[in-house]
Amino acid sequence: MAEMWISMGPQHPMTHGLWTLKVKVDGETIVDADPELGYLHRSVEKMGERRKYFMNTTLTDRLCYASSTTWTHCYALSVEELMEVEVPQRAQYIRTIMLELQRLASHLMWAGAYMPDLGHITGALYFWRDRELFLNLLEAPSGSRLLYNYIRIGGVKRDLPDGFEQKTERILKLFEQRLDEYADLFENSKIFRMRTEDVGKFTAAQAQNLGITGPNLRGCGTKFDLREHDTYEIYDEIDWDIQTREAGPGYSDCFSRYMVRIDEMRESIKIIRECFKKMPAGPTMASKIPVRATGEAFRRTEDSRGEALMYVVGDGSDRPYRWKIKSPMFTTISACPHYLKGYKVADIPAIMGSIDICIGETDK
Amino acid sequence: MEIKAFMKEVSSVKGVTKVGLVRNNVVKCNLDKEGSKDFFVKLKDDFGFEHCSLITAIDNQPQFELVYHFSAINGSVFVKDSSAAVMAEIHIFLDRDTPTVESISDLWFGANWHEREAFDLMGIYFIGHPDLRRVLLPEGFAGHPLRKDYVYEIHEEEW
Amino acid sequence: MDMSSKRIKGNANLRRGLGSKTTDSDKIMEDPPAGDWLALRSDQLLKWIDDAVYNAAETTGMREVVDRVTRPIFNYAQRFSPHPLHFGIMCCAIEMGQASAPDHDIDRLGLVYRSSPRQCDVLIVNGPVCEKLRPKLKTLYEQMPEPKWVIAMGECAISGGPYWDSYSVVAGADTFMPVDVYIPGCPVRPEALMHGFLTLQKKIREKEPGMFLRR
Repeated sequence: MAEMWISMGPQHPMTHGLWTLKVKVDGETIVDADPELGYLHRSVEKMGERRKYFMNTTLTDRLCYASSTTWTHCYALSVEELMEVEVPQRAQYIRTIMLELQRLASHLMWAGAYMPDLGHITGALYFWRDRELFLNLLEAPSGSRLLYNYIRIGGVKRDLPDGFEQKTERILKLFEQRLDEYADLFENSKIFRMRTEDVGKFTAAQAQNLGITGPNLRGCGTKFDLREHDTYEIYDEIDWDIQTREAGPGYSDCFSRYMVRIDEMRESIKIIRECFKKMPAGPTMASKIPVRATGEAFRRTEDSRGEALMYVVGDGSDRPYRWKIKSPMFTTISACPHYLKGYKVADIPAIMGSIDICIGETDK
Repeated sequence: MEIKAFMKEVSSVKGVTKVGLVRNNVVKCNLDKEGSKDFFVKLKDDFGFEHCSLITAIDNQPQFELVYHFSAINGSVFVKDSSAAVMAEIHIFLDRDTPTVESISDLWFGANWHEREAFDLMGIYFIGHPDLRRVLLPEGFAGHPLRKDYVYEIHEEEW
Repeated sequence: MDMSSKRIKGNANLRRGLGSKTTDSDKIMEDPPAGDWLALRSDQLLKWIDDAVYNAAETTGMREVVDRVTRPIFNYAQRFSPHPLHFGIMCCAIEMGQASAPDHDIDRLGLVYRSSPRQCDVLIVNGPVCEKLRPKLKTLYEQMPEPKWVIAMGECAISGGPYWDSYSVVAGADTFMPVDVYIPGCPVRPEALMHGFLTLQKKIREKEPGMFLRR
């Protein structure tokens, strides 16, 4: 049969953002794919060179609209490494709580966007409803719904408000019950499993070479989580486990990637509870933060989508000389010909949805 | 392989200079442009750095600097009594007149688009890259905007 | 491209409703462009009939009468079912999605998101428009059928917002397409989006002309 190219996007319900996926099909089967990015290239790196170090948290907030705290945190961590700032203990605990709340919100957003891809609109409404709970929690200390600008260089903007712990505990308890309900609705649903199992497979060795990280890599059974393997904040003082799943020996499919994220949500709840239990009193901001910096530094963190890395070079002035962002989705999207090949056109939303795309961080 | 042994082995490779530690799990070294591919093959096959994290291009005026970050996910190189994954940070310096270097996208597929991005925004040419096109900017865009000598119009004054 | 000048065909004065109510039959029914009736192609014939009907309705005042009668009905339907395009650019797109979630439930205003621009009335520009996106966004706008409205949602779409000094972000959506409602905010809260749609309803109620033989 004759082969032809189909172009999806930039406006397409499958894309979850602005990018174009061109697939070469032979009948219904995908033979080749060519993703195209850049519709959201805002030149954040160049703009960062014109702004002072502390101003750039505005830009990092807007890097990924689904999990803005994790990106601001990654930037703050790198700059603190560059300036050799010591963050107070309490600020580290607050940061960890905020990061895990953000991870919950981000995973919920992914789940809410993934369900319509599979034709399950009701699921989307359930997950979006739960996301609102966590947005309220994140809004309480920061004052904003989506882009918080709460984590700053040297600490956090202000202390947690009164009654935050009780409010969080109430919502976490409610959410735990709902997660159990969703297990019945999705994991035990025959239609959901037929749509996701044995679709979009790649092995762990492939994934590492392709540059796939985060929950997508842990879906292959690889125990690799930067919270543990390049530890930051207080993750080493807290008792938690890396969540992995595998569809078969060393490979993942859409269902195992879904399950990793659901398990991670449960793990996040555990981490938040323990943080509240251990949190000490004290200041939330480092006493002395330099304005200028020289040298180069990088830190990598476990973003909701994978390995986030920021490389900052300072030349002695109050603005970064060069600032490079590593986005986990940039490489994951680039590898899509490898894991789309051989599947049907109707599987594209199921596969591309399961890797959790966020174009904001990808295009920078 | 323990990280100290890894550092010793790396410093004996031809073209590698200034081997040092950035943190307890990050090894940093400089690498000559000529013969860089041989070192990368060794890094992947012998030392087991399976994952290419990032390729950064810096305009140091006048020369360019490429910074590669690799990480050993499977723990082939490790730090004693620590769960930290080891990273290698490799610097290559390029002349401004000939900003070319050998591509490593056939070794790590994850490096493919990082190289395209460095070409797109900084104008570094990767020899042997299968598909060196612009990735973020539209086709036909003039210049490489992340270079320090790139001039563009801003409609307000700098503050 | 100037859309308004393209729409005016035939006798410009008649079309705009500016000319005097002429009784000159020559002007009401102009001869076909080539002057030869038999040489007309089918599309030319249709256009000629179209023009003739419009001119007749305009001159006799029929158009205004029918408009007066049908306008409230059409206007009501337009106001309470603005179907926006399911199109997300950046942060505000998430809030757009959150607005249709159970907590805010923007469906109450009759908003149903459609994925094809051919079925849409409202284009929500919810993020920065980059140089690479601009031609595509313009195509999307041109694919939407009349009548159509554009909402600039958030600072980026209004003026470039935080990306004002970027080399690739356009300084606002209104530099290349007409914008009806601006909603400030970074990002816009779902409540603000609702208010924006209520403003759009008000605008449709007050400004929108009748629909009979509208060009």
